[in-house]
Amino acid sequence: MRKIVAICSLEMKRTFKRRSSYIIMFAMPLIFTLLFGGLFGENAGSAMPIAIVDEDGSVYSQHLIRQLKSHPFTEYEEVDAATAKELLSEKSVEGVVTIKKDFLGHIAKEEPAVMLQHPPGTAAAPMLEQLYNQAIRTLDLQVTAAQIGASYENKEWDMVFEQLIETESGTNGISEIHMNDAQVESWNKMSYSSAGFSIMFVMIVMLFTTGTLIEARNMGIWSRLLTTPATRIQLTLGYVLSFFIIGFVQFTLLIVLTSLLFGVQWGDPLGLAILVTVLLFSVVGLGMAIATLVKTSEQQSAVGMLLIISTSMLGGVYWPLDIVPEFMQKIANFVPQSWAIEGFKSLVDGAALGDIMTPILVLMGFAIVFLSIGISRVRYQ
Amino acid sequence: MLTMTNVKKRFGEQEVVKGITLHVGKGEAFGLLGPNGAGKSTTISMICGLVPYDEGDIQVDGLSVSRSPYEIKKKIGVVPQDIALYPTLSALDNLVFWGKMYGLKGREAKARALEVLETVGLVERGKDRIETFSGGMKRRINIGAALLHRPELLIMDEPTVGIDPQSRHHILETVKRLNEQGMTIIYTSHYMEEVEFLCKRIAIMDHGQVIATGSTQELCKRLAGGNQLLLDVEEVRPAFVEKLKQLDGVEKVMIPEASEIHLYIKQDQDMMASIVSMAAKEAVKLRQIKLKEADLETLFLQMTGRSLRD
Ligand SMILES: Nc1ncnc2c1ncn2[C@@H]1O[C@H](COP(=O)(O)OP(=O)(O)O)[C@@H](O)[C@H]1O
Ligand SMILES: [Mg+2]
Repeated sequence: MRKIVAICSLEMKRTFKRRSSYIIMFAMPLIFTLLFGGLFGENAGSAMPIAIVDEDGSVYSQHLIRQLKSHPFTEYEEVDAATAKELLSEKSVEGVVTIKKDFLGHIAKEEPAVMLQHPPGTAAAPMLEQLYNQAIRTLDLQVTAAQIGASYENKEWDMVFEQLIETESGTNGISEIHMNDAQVESWNKMSYSSAGFSIMFVMIVMLFTTGTLIEARNMGIWSRLLTTPATRIQLTLGYVLSFFIIGFVQFTLLIVLTSLLFGVQWGDPLGLAILVTVLLFSVVGLGMAIATLVKTSEQQSAVGMLLIISTSMLGGVYWPLDIVPEFMQKIANFVPQSWAIEGFKSLVDGAALGDIMTPILVLMGFAIVFLSIGISRVRYQ
Repeated sequence: MLTMTNVKKRFGEQEVVKGITLHVGKGEAFGLLGPNGAGKSTTISMICGLVPYDEGDIQVDGLSVSRSPYEIKKKIGVVPQDIALYPTLSALDNLVFWGKMYGLKGREAKARALEVLETVGLVERGKDRIETFSGGMKRRINIGAALLHRPELLIMDEPTVGIDPQSRHHILETVKRLNEQGMTIIYTSHYMEEVEFLCKRIAIMDHGQVIATGSTQELCKRLAGGNQLLLDVEEVRPAFVEKLKQLDGVEKVMIPEASEIHLYIKQDQDMMASIVSMAAKEAVKLRQIKLKEADLETLFLQMTGRSLRD
């Protein structure tokens, strides 16, 4: 036990003694989160002008428009179709949103109900698309709630709906909708970026941390360790434990810092602790597997960085997976980051431990596979 | 303390150690001399349980290495050929770590680390990072890391490679002192001066075999013609060399450099006078003539036809 602790504290000392560690561990992820997460939130003053065409002209479409207007980084102008076209060609708006006639009917049939037109290459397009999807989903829920409410109260559902959106408070059915509103706000750009960049930089730090295995092997430290009365199991436990603790310290501090600095609500602490734990074990395993499969530190950082950045792209660390083609979304299932993000998203949206069992189990699977590769390759010779 | 009987090791096709039998007594300083690739490091790795042996047996203090490796590791301190230290940590941190790996408790490890720093003469550099040390100082800490648990047997694998004469001297003195205090030493080197200085008994290894064992004197006595005459001439003339070869008592003539001739001569023959007169006759300008007495280097050269270094 003493030997395990000795290795563990030595590795931690090595990491935390390096000043550059703090930059990669904390400064970089926070800066990235701020840059990406705050990109739209910050220039709320100069919000994006969008033209909105209401073909439906009903109380429902008006409700949708009110909802859209509540978002800080866009500014809507209600116009007719012709004017919208003109504004777009003049480039005085960034895009045109058209709410189709009978759009509730379209929603019910799962057809496109809202159309977004924008000049090619509009940077904000994916973000807008996501925004509308969310708004429509919310509306859809509200309609469903109203229908259920109506069946209880024996009324026309649209009357209930009108009541519902006018009073914004009331029966049990409505409180569900409020929760849903809250969800849309909590999983925002900031919490998304915080989770994504925390994951990515924990992986990068783990790459440097597990580099100690390569160094120890190439410098003859492994051989020397084997001339001491320490067993291979003790050595391995010492290493895995130190990697895990370093990652845990980093992730925990990032959670604390992002919630203090950016107001991110990470959700249920127990679920969070367990999700972070299984994620870390898979990241530790991956780091060890890479470190033991390459010969030099240069190879390790090249292979490792490539792997981390490409899988982070695939796994939806930089942008939401909703905007990528379906086959890419399928590929994302084979990348631990996507499951981690899903877990964090659910927690932020108010899920408890029991609700995120799927991502936890999948990450555990990744951890088992990576750790067995990593540990079996550590032969100390 | 150490008994090796007919120990063999092969790596794939290559038989690296071809049946070594050795005995090292308690308190002895034993030298293992041999050129690079002779199998010294492999032999040491087998003694300290790092590499399993294929045949034979190794016993340390009556315990078989293959059967009770952990018991034996507690008794042995190994100084590896590489500097196996953490460069970004201080000398003290490194020593404390290795102490703990040998099973010392925190406070004990710290106290021992300070003592060891004193032994290797680096107390005032204890707080400095290893990466700021000179090669010689790193080597000294490398040795120190094997001393924390007060081993009964200290095995050193070429501990003085690539360092300045001062550090080398310091290391040799330290090891000698440790031996005088009762520690058994196995010292590996391809520098025969070091082995001659430290060790009473020596084994000479080549191509995975021990080709000679005994004390320095015993080994040198075995030499048929161990003494050398070193001639420094202005120009090496083939005719002169031919004449030298025919001289009575000359065993071998070597020309290591353009202006040097080495003669291997029988031990009790004095032939300087005849060489000087021969040089005069052949009109060879003889700048210097020196007698070099037989040593391990010559012994090795004679037994293998090669020099110890390279
Ligand atoms: N792990 C290994 N695998 C294969 N060959 C090895 C290994 N270790 C040493 N050798 C070979 O064994 C021979 C003896 O090496 P070594 O014991 O290091 O010699 P020395 O220490 O005397 O220089 C060399 O030819 C070397 O290439
Ligand atoms: Mg060697």
